[in-house]
Amino acid sequence: MKKSISLFISLTKNWLRSKSGVFFSILFPVMLLIIFSAVFGGGETAEYTIHIENEDFEENGIPTELSEAFIKALDDTGTLNVNEVDNLTEHREEEEGFGSYRGLRIKEGFQERAENKSMSIRVGVMHETMLLMENESDMEEEEREEFERGKESLEEWSQFLGKEHLFDLNRSEYADYLNEGEIHEEMRSAFEEKNFSISDDAEMKYEENGSWTIEDEEKKFIIQEDEEENKLHIFREKESAKIVVYTSPGDQGGQVVQGTVRGVVDSFDSRMIGVEDTTIEVGEETTEDEELQPADYYLPGILTAFIMTNGIIAVTTTTTEYKRNGVLKRLSAAPIQKKDWILANVGQQTLLAFILTGVMILLSRILFDVQAVPGIYSLGLIFLGAVAFCSVGMVLGGFIKDVEAASGIGNAIAFPMMFLSGAFVPIEQFPGYLRTVARALPLYYFHQGLQELMILENLSGAIIPYIVLGSLTVVFLIAAIKVTDWKDM
Amino acid sequence: MSDNVIDVEGLTKLYDGTTAVDNISFSVREGEIFSMVGPNGAGKTTTVEILECIRTPTSGNAEVLGHDVMKDEDRIKEKIGVMPQNFNTFERLSAEENIRLMADLYGSKNVEEVMKMVGVTDFKDKKFSELSGGMQTKVGIGMTLISNADLLFLDEPTTGLDPHARRETWKLIKRLKRTGKTVFLTTHYMEEVEELSDRAAVLIDGRIEVIDSIENLIRDYGGGIKVVVRKDEKAVELVKEKSDEVFKNESGELVGIFDNKKRARKALVTLFQMDCDVEVKEAGMEDAFIRLTGGKLDEEGELV
Ligand SMILES: Nc1ncnc2c1ncn2[C@@H]1O[C@H](COP(=O)(O)OP(=O)(O)OP(=O)(O)O)[C@@H](O)[C@H]1O
Ligand SMILES: [Mg+2]
Repeated sequence: MKKSISLFISLTKNWLRSKSGVFFSILFPVMLLIIFSAVFGGGETAEYTIHIENEDFEENGIPTELSEAFIKALDDTGTLNVNEVDNLTEHREEEEGFGSYRGLRIKEGFQERAENKSMSIRVGVMHETMLLMENESDMEEEEREEFERGKESLEEWSQFLGKEHLFDLNRSEYADYLNEGEIHEEMRSAFEEKNFSISDDAEMKYEENGSWTIEDEEKKFIIQEDEEENKLHIFREKESAKIVVYTSPGDQGGQVVQGTVRGVVDSFDSRMIGVEDTTIEVGEETTEDEELQPADYYLPGILTAFIMTNGIIAVTTTTTEYKRNGVLKRLSAAPIQKKDWILANVGQQTLLAFILTGVMILLSRILFDVQAVPGIYSLGLIFLGAVAFCSVGMVLGGFIKDVEAASGIGNAIAFPMMFLSGAFVPIEQFPGYLRTVARALPLYYFHQGLQELMILENLSGAIIPYIVLGSLTVVFLIAAIKVTDWKDM
Repeated sequence: MSDNVIDVEGLTKLYDGTTAVDNISFSVREGEIFSMVGPNGAGKTTTVEILECIRTPTSGNAEVLGHDVMKDEDRIKEKIGVMPQNFNTFERLSAEENIRLMADLYGSKNVEEVMKMVGVTDFKDKKFSELSGGMQTKVGIGMTLISNADLLFLDEPTTGLDPHARRETWKLIKRLKRTGKTVFLTTHYMEEVEELSDRAAVLIDGRIEVIDSIENLIRDYGGGIKVVVRKDEKAVELVKEKSDEVFKNESGELVGIFDNKKRARKALVTLFQMDCDVEVKEAGMEDAFIRLTGGKLDEEGELV
């Protein structure tokens, strides 16, 4: 043990005096943490910049009232930092390569469509309320009559809301072509005569009360049978008001931004419908509280990723280097065992991991107000991770002969693992098969576990990561002992 | 137990097919400086490393300080000092830190004393990588001596050093002998063998060609008078005729060896009368080696 400690001290000094060694194992990850957290938000309360292009103008060229109000509402959330731009596409290109871009486009016709749409929704809501009342028994005869009349006119009116009348067809002529499924050629040509095209994949469906729909991916026509006038009234359903949110793939803040926008939309909907005390009043607060700050997210990610690379890249390289330049031979000729050497390396990596943890947490606290405190369980997991990846490095170093190959192979293993295990990009954003791959990687469990322990403070969530990483640590350590040459180098 | 600190019997080492050490047997006596010489690839390092317990022999027996190299690795390692060929150590640790590390591994305390003895004190705080080759050798010998072992293995300690540094190293090795240590030395320099060793083994292609004391080696294989002739037709003829052995040296000059001094004197008188340009020397280890190997070693140890 005393010998291991002396070796450990020598290894550590030798490492500490290597500028590039210290840079890549400590300063580089710290820089990454700062950059990532700063670019993707950061600061005391995370504010996400969103660039908005408003396409919805009145005829005189000023933005519509509703779109203005909507933008103001977004700004008022406190989560979003609104920046209005003239042309989102151009602006995005100018900003290219500068972290994640989040944009929002308010489509032309926003106000008009929103108003139409909300009328139809409002009617819908009223209608439902009345039907409920109908079942209530203690209604006077007079009241009931009034109610029925109101209901009928509402139903009639509602038919025309949210849709636009296009033209009429002769019912006797076309009734035969009202069939579920494919659209009959005659019907199709009747539409085309009026300059409305029906795509090939459109389907016809019977709805209710002599109402049919023809729907494809883009639009929806409604055909209303009118026996009295012997007509088919053709309508097109009005489109809803549109806004489009653009976020970059892999953007941590993207979800927060989308959630916030959705929240504002919902509250707008509710306000326009006139139902004030609705439950849809959407919890912007809940989103904000539960959502991790970028630094919260990156802290365990970068920490685990670099404990991994320090093991797999740095240990592999130095092991091969010591083997090649004869340092290992000199040591193996001294009265020490292979296990002393492995222990010293593992110790050095553990120390390095703890230093890294300390520096990162301190900086995250100072710069980003991250409250993470590494408890005994976090430190235990960090220890397991350091030992596991140091062992992997020693296994690789045991196999590989030359230093260049060592750093190449180390990189080839470490980098895919870094990105696949969810340390930088949440694996929820991966396609299914990649998620399966991620779950097969040790870094995934290391990262998951640390996130649960340090950020979410959820001990039970860390049980499986603990078990998996612990077992892997034992396996890797045994492999390192088996593979390391202490003779016949 | 014998006076031998090393006993080797039928030692063989194969590296996938090629025979590096071929059934060699020899002993090293307590207190002597024993040299193993031979061209590159002769198997010197392989032999030394088997004795240091950092290489596994294919067959044969070797005992170091009475312990079997295959069974008692740990005991042997504690009792020997080792300086591998192309010795290297932690490059960003200072000379002193490297020696201290070894002191910890061997459980010794006399760091200051050793540093003074090998002459490291002046640059003890300099990083190993910033030292000259000669200084690095001193650190290496220091790391060997700190074991306080009585048996030291030095594998080519002076290769690549300038003549001055080499001579300083020799002085140090001689001093070690005086303190009663046994030194197992490998080298390419015949001068070094002659200067330092009590006995030497000449290893060629994994086999021991001869093993004997330096005096005997020189007498048997070098001995006598060496006459070097510089391009003089008549003299060349005479030397070829009268000497016991002739060969060409690296400058293409003819070298004749006279085992018998009387005959040598007679030949020399004739040569001087003929006013030939000749040089007369006493033959040494180098000549012995050349006669044994049929060649001479260059600075890198290649046979020429
Ligand atoms: N690890 C190894 N694997 C395979 N072959 C080896 C190995 N080490 C040495 N050899 C071979 O064994 C033979 C003896 O090598 P060794 O290093 O013992 O020679 P040496 O006498 O020390 O040479 P030098 O004077 O160059 O140091 C050589 O042919 C060499 O190529
Ligand atoms: Mg050698």
